[in-house]
Amino acid sequence: MTDEPSQQHPIRIYLIVWGLLFLISALSYMTDFIDRGFWRWALILLFMALKAGFIVAVFMHVRWERLALMAVVLAPPILLLVLVGLMAIESDYTRSIRFEYFAEGVQEEALPVSTSNKHN
Amino acid sequence: MTCAVGVERKSVQGASEAPPLMTSFSADWGSDISTLKGVPWGKAMMWVFLVSDTFIFTCFLVGYMAVRMSTVEPWPNPSEVFALQVFGNSVPLLLIAIMTFILISSSGTMAMAVNMGYQRRKDAATSLILVTALLGAMFVGMQAFEWSKLILDEGVRPWSNPFGAPQFGAVFFMVTGFHGLHVSAGVVYLLTIAFRLRRGKYDESNFEIVEITGLYWHFVDLVWVFIFALFYLW
Amino acid sequence: MTEFEAPYQETMDVQHPRSWITRYWFSQDHKVIAVQYGVTAIAVGLVALVLSGLMRIQIGFPGLLPFITPDIYYQAVTMHGMIMVIFLLTAFLLGAFGNFCIPLMLGARDMVFPFVNMLSYHVYLLSVVVLMASYFVPGGPTGAGWTLYPPQAILPGTPGVDWGIVTMLLSLIIFVVAFTMGGLNYITTILQARTRGMTLMRMPLTVWGILMATVLGLLAFPALFVSAVMMLLDKLVGTSFFMPAIVSFGQPLEYSGGSPLLFQHLFWFFGHPEVYIVALPAFGVVSELISVHSRKNIFGYRMMVWALVAIGALSFVVWAHHMYVAGMHPYFGFFFATTTLIIAVPTAIKVYNWVLTLWKANIKLTVPMLFALAFILTFVVGGLSGLFLGNVIIDVPLSDTYFVVAHFHMVMGVAPILVIFGGIYHWYPKLTGRMLNNALGQLHFWVTFLGTYAVYYPMHYLGFIGVPRRYYANGVESDFYPASAVTLNEFITVAALVVGLMQFVFVYNLIASYFRGKRAGPNPWGATTLEWQTPNTPPDHGNWGGTLPTVHRWAYDYSVPGEEQDFVPQNVERRS
Repeated sequence: MTDEPSQQHPIRIYLIVWGLLFLISALSYMTDFIDRGFWRWALILLFMALKAGFIVAVFMHVRWERLALMAVVLAPPILLLVLVGLMAIESDYTRSIRFEYFAEGVQEEALPVSTSNKHN
Repeated sequence: MTCAVGVERKSVQGASEAPPLMTSFSADWGSDISTLKGVPWGKAMMWVFLVSDTFIFTCFLVGYMAVRMSTVEPWPNPSEVFALQVFGNSVPLLLIAIMTFILISSSGTMAMAVNMGYQRRKDAATSLILVTALLGAMFVGMQAFEWSKLILDEGVRPWSNPFGAPQFGAVFFMVTGFHGLHVSAGVVYLLTIAFRLRRGKYDESNFEIVEITGLYWHFVDLVWVFIFALFYLW
Repeated sequence: MTEFEAPYQETMDVQHPRSWITRYWFSQDHKVIAVQYGVTAIAVGLVALVLSGLMRIQIGFPGLLPFITPDIYYQAVTMHGMIMVIFLLTAFLLGAFGNFCIPLMLGARDMVFPFVNMLSYHVYLLSVVVLMASYFVPGGPTGAGWTLYPPQAILPGTPGVDWGIVTMLLSLIIFVVAFTMGGLNYITTILQARTRGMTLMRMPLTVWGILMATVLGLLAFPALFVSAVMMLLDKLVGTSFFMPAIVSFGQPLEYSGGSPLLFQHLFWFFGHPEVYIVALPAFGVVSELISVHSRKNIFGYRMMVWALVAIGALSFVVWAHHMYVAGMHPYFGFFFATTTLIIAVPTAIKVYNWVLTLWKANIKLTVPMLFALAFILTFVVGGLSGLFLGNVIIDVPLSDTYFVVAHFHMVMGVAPILVIFGGIYHWYPKLTGRMLNNALGQLHFWVTFLGTYAVYYPMHYLGFIGVPRRYYANGVESDFYPASAVTLNEFITVAALVVGLMQFVFVYNLIASYFRGKRAGPNPWGATTLEWQTPNTPPDHGNWGGTLPTVHRWAYDYSVPGEEQDFVPQNVERRS
C-alpha cells in the first residue's frame, strides 16, 4: 500500500486520553458550582479547549498527520474567530442601544425556577 | 526498467517516521498526484466535510451568542433548568453530565474500533462499532427525554418559556436538535458500516473506512464539548 | 530509483451505463453531469431573464403591462436576483465548468466519487424545483429581495409571506446540501487525484479559480444555511432570532428580543464570499481564454495563483461593507472599509497581469477572445464603482440607489456572464466535436457586450442623482425624479430588451450547432491544457483510454522560442 504516517498507535494512548477526557469533563461539571465571574468563564473555556484539543489531536489522529492535512483542517476555523469576535462586539452594542432607548420595564434578575411542579 | 504511467512515488522516508514538518509541508504541496500524502480519498473528503460542518455549528453558536448577549431580558440559568430531582435533592445538570459521559464513552469505543480495524481484527472492530452505535442511540434517547421534560413539564417552547428570555427555548431546541440529528445520522452510519464490515465488503482494503467513520463520530462528540461548555455551563 | 505503485485512479471503476436512464439521467460521468448542470442553469436563467424584462418594462414604461402590480414586481426582483446569483451563476460556473474541466484538465478519469457527484446534480435540480414551486403556492413567491432581510421578509405587506418565503428558504437549504456534495468532490479530486507530473503549480488557472471558489463555498454556505434555518424557525415556529418586538398593521406581534442585524451579518458573511465564488472561476476561465487565444503564456502565473488565494481568504473579512447604513456598530465601517480596499489590491494585480499577457501577443479575435476582452473592460468598470461604494462616507448617499445596482450588475451580471459565454464557445468543440456558428457568435457578442454596456453604464448616473433601487413606481417626473431619469430609464429598458432577445439566439446556436455545426478537430484552438489532448473528441468514459497522460510542463507553453508550433501541450516531454 502507499506510504503513509502510521495509523496505528499503541492502544494505551487512546485509553489514557479517554481517561483524561472523563477527568476533564468531571472538572468542567464542577465549574457549575463556581459563581458567575471571571474564573467560571475562564475555567469553562480552558476545559473546553483541552477536551477539544485531545479529541482532535488524538482521537481524530491529527497529531500524527502530515502538516499539509493539519493545515487544511485547522486553518479555516481561524476565519471564524473574526466572525465570533465581531458578533460579540455587535451584540453588546445592540444591547447597550436597547438599554439606552427602551429602558423601561427591563428586569435585571432571572425569574426563579419554580420547583412546585417538577417531578422526579 | 518500465516506468508505468500515472503511478505515485513512494516516499523516500520510512513508513513509521514522520518527516521534518516544514520540509514535508512544502514537499507535499509541491508534489504531483496528491497533496495529502497517504490519505485515502474517503478520508480527505470526510475531513473537508467536517470542516464545513464546523462552520455550520459555529454559525449556530454565534447566533446563540448574539441572541443571548443582545437580549435585555435575563437569560435562564441552565443549571437550574436542567436539574434533576434525585432523592428530593435538586442535582444540577445531572442528565447532561450523564449524556456527556455516554458520548465520551462512545468516542472511546470508536477509537478502539479504529485501532482494531488497523490490526485487521474485523470482529472486534464490528462489535466495538455496534457498542458505539448503542451508546449513541442512548444519547439520543436521553436528549429526547430532556426535550419531552422541558416541553411537557416545564412549558418551554421555542417562542417563550417561564424562566427568562424567549430565545432560550429557540436556541436550545435548534442547537440540540441539529446536534441530535447528527448523532442519529451517525448511529445509522455506524450500523451501516458495521454490517458491511461483517459481510466482508471491506476485506480488500486497509479498513480505513473504520477510521473515516470514526472521524465523523469524534466530530459529533467534539460539537457536544462546545455545546456543553457554551450552552449548559456558561 | 524510487518504486512505483498504482494510484487509486488506475484501479478506479468507471461506471459503464447500460440503459438510457443510467446513461443520461442518472449518469455518473462528470461530462454528462456538467451538461445537466449547464442545461438546468441556463433554463432557469432564461426564466430570470424574462423576469428582468418584466421589471425593466415596469421601470421604463410603467403601466404598459397592467398585470405587473407592485407584488408581481417585487416577486420578480427577488426571484430574478436569487436565480441569477445562486441558481445560474454559481451553478454554472461551479457545477458545469467545474464538473467538465476538473477531471479533464487534471488528467483524471472522473471525480473521486462519481456517485456523490450524480447525487449533487439531482439535489440541485430538486432545489430548483422547490424554488419554482414558489410560483404555484398560495401568495406566490416571496418579494423580500434576494437578500431576504427580516423582519419584512416574514411579515404581511411583503408578497409571498405565507408560503413563498418558506419555499425560498427550503430551496436554499437544499441547494447548500447539493453544493456541499459537489464541492467535496471537487476539492478531493483536485487535491488527491491529479495525474503524474501534475503538480498544483502546473494546473491551469481555471482549476485554481474553481478550487478557491469551492473552498469559499464550503466555508460560506454554512452561514446561509444557518440564516435560512433561523428564519424558517422565526416564520414557522415563532422564534425570535431575527424578530424584534414589533407592531405589524397596528397589531403588536408575539416576537421580542431578536435582531434583524444578526441576519444581515450572517447573510453577508455568506453573501460576500458568494460573489467571489462567482468571480474566481470567472477569473480562472478568463486567464485560460486570454492565454490560448493570444498565443502567449499568462503573465505572472505564480502571482495569479497567490492573488486567487489572497482574494479568497480576504473575502471572509469584508462582509459588512454591505451594511454601512444598516445601523451596526459605528466603528465597524472603519474596519470593513479598510479590508475592502485591501482586497482591491490582489484583484488589480490580476487585471494588470491579463493586460500584460495581451501586450505584444498574437491576439486572435475569436469569439471566446472577444468575450474575454469584454470581461476585462466590464469588470474594471464595475470594480472601479466598487471602490466608491467601499468607502463608508461615499456609500451613504449611494447605498440603495441605482449606483449599487449598476455596480453589482457590472461585476456579477455582465462580467461573469460574458465569461460563461466565452467559456461555452471555447469548450463547446471539446464537448460536442463541433464548432458553434461563428457568425451568430459574433452577433451574439457584439449585441450583448454593447447592449449591456448601454444598460449599466448610464445607470450609474441614475444612482448619482439618487434614484432608489427596488422601487415599483418609477417614471413619474417630479422634483425628486427629473425628466432625464425618466428618459434614461426608457433607454435602458429598450437596450435591456434587445440584449435579452439576443440570448435566445445564443440558445438557438447551442442547439443547432450540435447537429449542424462545423466539425472541429480535437484541438481547434491549439491549446496546451490536458483536456484538448484526449484520445477522442468528445472524450469517452474514462477520458484517457488505456493510460493516463503524464505532465511534463506547465499549462502555458505558448509561442515558445525554438518550438515548431506556437504551443506545446502539457503532456509533451521536454527535450534535453
